Amino acid sequence: MLDIKLPEFEKKVYPDLELSLLEPSYKINLRGKNRDFFTKAGKLLSIMLPIESNTSANIKNINALWLSPDEWLIYGKDIDKNLETNLNNEISKLKYGSVTNVSDQWVIINFKGKNIFEVLSKGSPFNFNNFKGKKNVVVQTLLNHVDVILHHQEINDLNLFVRKSFSEHLWLWINDSSRFI
Amino acid sequence: MSNFRINKTNFVDQTNRISFKFDGKTFFGFKGDTLASALIANGIHLVGRSFKYHRPRGIMTCGSEEPNAICQINDKSNLTEPNVRATEIELYEGLEANSQNCWPNVKFDIGGINNLISPFIPAGFYYKTFMWPKSFWKSVYEPLIRKTAGLGKSPIKPDPEIYDHKYVHCDVLVIGGGISGIISAKLSAKNNLNTILIDDKKELGGSTIFQENEIFKINNKISKDWLINEINEIKKLKNLQIKTRTSVAAYHDYNYLLARESLSDHLSKNEKDGFVRQRLWKIRAKKVIIATGAIERPLVFNNNDRPGILLASSINKYLNYFGVTCGLKNVIFTNNDSAYEVAISLNKKGIDVKIIDIRKRSESELIKETEKLGIKIFWNSTITSTFGYRKINSIEIMSLSEDGSNVIGEKNKISCDCLGMSGGWTPMVHMHTQSGGKLNFRETDQVFLPKEFSDNRISVGSSNGHFELDEIIKLTNDTVKKFLNIQETDLDDADISCSKELEKRNIWLLPNYISIGKNKSFIDFQNDSTAKDIKLAMREGFKSIEHVKRYTTTGMATDQGKLSNMHALGIIAETAAVKMGSLGTTTFRPPFTPLTFGTIVGRSVGKFFDIVRKTPMHEWHVKNNAEFENVGQWKRAWYYPRNNENMHQSVQRESKAARDSAGILDASTLGKIDIKGSDATEFLNRVYTNAWSKLSIGKCRYGLMLNEDGMVYDDGVTTRIDENHYLMTTTTGGAANVLSKLEDYLQTEWPELDVWLTSVTDHYATASICGPNSKKILKKLFSDIEFNDQNFPHMSFKNAKIGGIDCRIMRISFTGEHSYEINIEAKYGNSLWEKCIDAGKDFNITPYGTETMHLLRAEKGFIIVGQDTDGTMTPIDLQMDWIVSKKKYDFIGKRSLYRSDTMREDRKQLVGLLTDKPNTVLEEGAQIVHEKNNKPIEMIGHVTSSYFSPNLNKSIALAVVKNGRKLKGQKLLVPMRDQTINVTVSDFIFYDKNNERLNA
Repeated sequence: MLDIKLPEFEKKVYPDLELSLLEPSYKINLRGKNRDFFTKAGKLLSIMLPIESNTSANIKNINALWLSPDEWLIYGKDIDKNLETNLNNEISKLKYGSVTNVSDQWVIINFKGKNIFEVLSKGSPFNFNNFKGKKNVVVQTLLNHVDVILHHQEINDLNLFVRKSFSEHLWLWINDSSRFI
Repeated sequence: MSNFRINKTNFVDQTNRISFKFDGKTFFGFKGDTLASALIANGIHLVGRSFKYHRPRGIMTCGSEEPNAICQINDKSNLTEPNVRATEIELYEGLEANSQNCWPNVKFDIGGINNLISPFIPAGFYYKTFMWPKSFWKSVYEPLIRKTAGLGKSPIKPDPEIYDHKYVHCDVLVIGGGISGIISAKLSAKNNLNTILIDDKKELGGSTIFQENEIFKINNKISKDWLINEINEIKKLKNLQIKTRTSVAAYHDYNYLLARESLSDHLSKNEKDGFVRQRLWKIRAKKVIIATGAIERPLVFNNNDRPGILLASSINKYLNYFGVTCGLKNVIFTNNDSAYEVAISLNKKGIDVKIIDIRKRSESELIKETEKLGIKIFWNSTITSTFGYRKINSIEIMSLSEDGSNVIGEKNKISCDCLGMSGGWTPMVHMHTQSGGKLNFRETDQVFLPKEFSDNRISVGSSNGHFELDEIIKLTNDTVKKFLNIQETDLDDADISCSKELEKRNIWLLPNYISIGKNKSFIDFQNDSTAKDIKLAMREGFKSIEHVKRYTTTGMATDQGKLSNMHALGIIAETAAVKMGSLGTTTFRPPFTPLTFGTIVGRSVGKFFDIVRKTPMHEWHVKNNAEFENVGQWKRAWYYPRNNENMHQSVQRESKAARDSAGILDASTLGKIDIKGSDATEFLNRVYTNAWSKLSIGKCRYGLMLNEDGMVYDDGVTTRIDENHYLMTTTTGGAANVLSKLEDYLQTEWPELDVWLTSVTDHYATASICGPNSKKILKKLFSDIEFNDQNFPHMSFKNAKIGGIDCRIMRISFTGEHSYEINIEAKYGNSLWEKCIDAGKDFNITPYGTETMHLLRAEKGFIIVGQDTDGTMTPIDLQMDWIVSKKKYDFIGKRSLYRSDTMREDRKQLVGLLTDKPNTVLEEGAQIVHEKNNKPIEMIGHVTSSYFSPNLNKSIALAVVKNGRKLKGQKLLVPMRDQTINVTVSDFIFYDKNNERLNA
């Protein structure tokens, strides 16, 4: 047996801000653009992939994030392990698009609290003025020069996706930033 | 209260006494004071020495334009800070400040000798001196110049303060919290626009906030009272964010501005502990309103630089804002009405004041009131000299001739202890010009003004040339209404009364009976540039303001010419008899006021200095004593020293182990791109120079990627996982750029291709095991796989399981040894690595780092893109003709390979180099020559990679050399500082030319 090694990020609490690791999570990168792709994806995920830019859709434990007109990130905590196989069989193998497991590509850090955007504004050039008032919105931006995906799933409840190799550095930076809210 | 603290104001808390030290002596001030106001309250004017002549200098202003009162804070500390303006630093308990540019002290400064020899050191003397003898250049002149250059002392320890950055976005940014800024911010915020108002002072209100003269009224209220109401009102507006103690430093394109907020500079050491000191605001504003006001001009006359000489408006601020009088016997020297407000204020507080006005007469309301108060006015007069070494004690005045070009009549001496000067006002157009705006010149009062407004930027108030109160309010209201599309406002019918200036007279260089060569009429007070210097520069042929500026150093001090530039321009125009407006201005560059390095850097210091990427096995490397090197942002294990080995010893040991038995490398950093789609094969054909159509499922192939110019861009091995599925690897540093480039091609050039790319660099961890025993180790790990050459040949891959976990094994090699790379999901990377180490124990498996990897691949003549290539090498230059398909219709860069230049035979080509002395290792980057006697020596190439090979027991090197293909066997030279190394051009494959070890 091989041991699983996840980032060792302990939950942190700051004034009106809570940070925690949301791992392990299941993540699939979906790419495609024809009608069959949308039909198959919708059927297998029980979700209509969002086509409006920078939005997300969710049902139960599955979230679908719009990344580009032909790319989505599907993620969730307790996703059925057969989902990837089914998507592969119904999409990849039938040449409707691509399905790629990226569970270990990204690490999810959950932010909760009123001060989320105070911290993010210290390192992200993105304009959060409208973003913070909406739920189910997504943005791909930089945080302290590192590429991140932000999923504002509920008001003041946000999941941040960072590439695994950057995650420790960014986690430390976020915690350091949270000291000066 | 001292003699100079004459009244109480709302802005200084005289119940809160604060002690501070200046030049080692303890003084007292109050909460709300600046260091400058506290010093003046204690009767201190002499605060520093000028840069060049070391003349005694005093506080001259009350803001960021201060040229003289720049101090060293905490001088005795390792964390001392130089060049802090006494006019900007707020007083706090325990503040210790010292004067700068003087030794042994400010009252007696040895450097003052420069003042005595000043006739011999005019502007530009250093361009003409220090020429002879040549032998002095480096040993005498340079050290001397370096020693005298610079102002203040730098700290010698890292700054422990905390600095922060913050991005903000707003609909409207208003720069400046004076009356026009407050009006603008209110109009904007009340119209539901998300607004930010920024001001560098601790209180809003500009100069109106302490304006007590009853001539200036708005809606029947004294202007100060009206403004206090407005400030209270805007503080309640929800969508207005007010940032005081915040100074805009730079205004870039597209309304991107940088501002520095001082958060704890005004707090005592105990209070500021743990607080952020300064924060850099990175502001994106849809619209910007510039309301930065105007700066009062000095006047240029003989000895206009003595301590006790201030700008008149500053005297007013010290008096009415801080409650401090700058002198008990004051003289105001002016060419405009605004200085009369100062005289009236002083008179009403019972302080002696006289006025000298270069105008012949004026009839405004202010002058009528001045005369009513019995204040003596000397019309049509000028100051010809001032007296007093450490502080002014008297002035000499004379009358002006009819045209103002000469002085006439008797000399009249007036005793005084303070002189206020006012030469009119200069609109602060820095922000407008930094943003790309142009300027117009207004002749009537000789000011540069914004020429045009854009849809997203305007200037209002005195920064737009409106100096009268009624103009400021009415025109600001009208301009902002139009700018923000507002229909009506409370100010549309405002009732405003004020004094109107009717007479104007400006003389840039006031006449004197002493010739220009013998008087000291300063223009740039910090850099000691005088009117004489400007005229000298012009006599020597400098005509452009940019040239005069650099020759005389006018405007090049830390105040960046806020007080001096207009006078320099005026004197040039007068001397050259041209219109001032036609001269233009010098370039207004950011920052508007100096920024600390801490503010610029923010929290990107220490562990956050640079981004760090770590592989899943990083902790194992740390535990096993690895030294790391930065590759891109990755921390890669460089080598693993044992028993106090140095790098050379470690690398020799590691490379021997890899060749003799087994080595293991963390290759997780290589870029990995998952390629899927029915056109994936065609896509690879277009991307790489070689053919991919016949690559079978389960096989791997090395590919070389070119830029459009035919130069090598990246390389790597791509594996065919399935019919329509490939896994491409890229160089570590090139991963992101390659993915971006390929995605760009798919979206713009080849949209017809059914291909999908996904980065999986971080998804997989990679352990690479090489060496003659690698197969045995793999057998232990994967007992169900046949590792013989038939079942698992070189350049093939297998899906496998280890501990029930899926992984991929590629039999590929970057060392020339029999090698395998195992890819597994990153969360299992560390565990897989440990399993490999365990399995390899019997074979003395040795972890090796990037340095050994470089050595091993160099022995085999494998290139590293970016080390052996530099963006100017084609595959043919690299002697890799074999990888360029002649049959393929096209691939990126193909056409460029057939240009005359890329087909030249004498291009630099990759070769091997062997030193005549086998133990001599060449330096990477060293130049290569044919011979060194004919000068100039022709450089024919350089060394790209160089190592001592323990496996070959000699030094080896890769190099690029002109026409290298044809030079094999020839002798060349590598000249170094202490020796010339003889080398022979060789084949670039040094080890196992027949690839026997790959299949061993």
